[in-house]
Amino acid sequence: MAETTQLELVTPARVMVQKAAEMVVAPGVEGLFGVLPRHAPLLADLARGIIEVHENGKIVNRYMIDGGLADVTPEAVTILAERAEDLDAADAGELNTRADAASEAEADFLRAVAAAL
Amino acid sequence: MPSLKDLKTRINSVKSTQKITSAMKMVAAAKLRRAQEAAEQGRPYADRMRQVIASLAAKSDGSNGPALLVGNGKSDTHLLVVMSADRGLCGGFNGSITRQTRNEVSRLQSEGKTVKLLMVGRKSADALRRDLGDLYIDRLEGIQGTSVSFADAGSIGKTIRDGFEAGDFDICTVIYNRFVSAITQEVTLTRLIPAEVGSGEADSADDASTVNYDYEPEEDELLASLLPRNISTQVYNALLESSASELAARMTAMDNATRNAGDLIDRLTLVYNRSRQATITKELIEIISGAEAV
Repeated sequence: MAETTQLELVTPARVMVQKAAEMVVAPGVEGLFGVLPRHAPLLADLARGIIEVHENGKIVNRYMIDGGLADVTPEAVTILAERAEDLDAADAGELNTRADAASEAEADFLRAVAAAL
Repeated sequence: MPSLKDLKTRINSVKSTQKITSAMKMVAAAKLRRAQEAAEQGRPYADRMRQVIASLAAKSDGSNGPALLVGNGKSDTHLLVVMSADRGLCGGFNGSITRQTRNEVSRLQSEGKTVKLLMVGRKSADALRRDLGDLYIDRLEGIQGTSVSFADAGSIGKTIRDGFEAGDFDICTVIYNRFVSAITQEVTLTRLIPAEVGSGEADSADDASTVNYDYEPEEDELLASLLPRNISTQVYNALLESSASELAARMTAMDNATRNAGDLIDRLTLVYNRSRQATITKELIEIISGAEAV
């Protein structure tokens, strides 16, 4: 297996993802950026968008976040996001039901996730 | 000397109290596990956030940083955010928060500061209403159930930020119970504005790792976008800790109550049996002496 960087996706409620990845693509406020192992240290503000986890040149996981912060070091990528959803596990119907019950900002995000599926 | 019937009633009443307290203990214990998990899982986010801000703050060092970080240069008006429970029957939980708040308020007032209070949770708000009710800017209830939502923390955070920007206060501190273990909870004061950045130990560790960070966007901009989020995060964290502490305190209190009820039942049963036997003996003596007299 090729060299990997350690991805951690943390929300206020829990550590959502913890895995090794060959490349992580994150939605920075100034544009998408990809992180490979041994990336230079970087702190980046993130916009609403999709985090892609690449392995063997293919996307293996996609997570949608509602803005956040990426802390990149040569060994790891830590992403702090207030809201995050796993796009592979999500279901549009369920997201819309949750959106109906949620507060405005949250509902907006959940609908955006449903639309991105 | 109470009659046998009185004793019997008393024993039954204590028994039913014991049933209630032991049920409450069980419920608290079950909920505690969930709340404790939530509190522990919430820590990484808050810790990371604090680290990042500490390292950014160390960089942008100097007095011209954002007001949320360095304060607005005054310390005349303090806002205390007090987190207590909505419900009682949890031992010293609410009492210690109330006591600490009272101390803090009188300390600040003796220094000539103005104090404002934002009360989260019904119990302390009720307890302090008579003495400090004039200082309340708001009281919130019902957000500390079994599941604390980040949205609630966000709205408290927003209230705090708006108040600060409007110049309602200069310094903001949260008073809450930090969950240490199921038997220990610690009343903790955390300063939100100006942001509390790292203790000495964390700083030196951070310094080494932050020397050549790239920033996107610029440091100041990044810091300005993070600080408001940090406030909500710290509030959320405090709420989680407080809920876990409340349940732990209730569990301990109800465990004690159940045990005390057990002791009381034993004592009452002893008295009950003694007096029952005394009655029987007395009746026998009466019968025998009556028979002898014939």
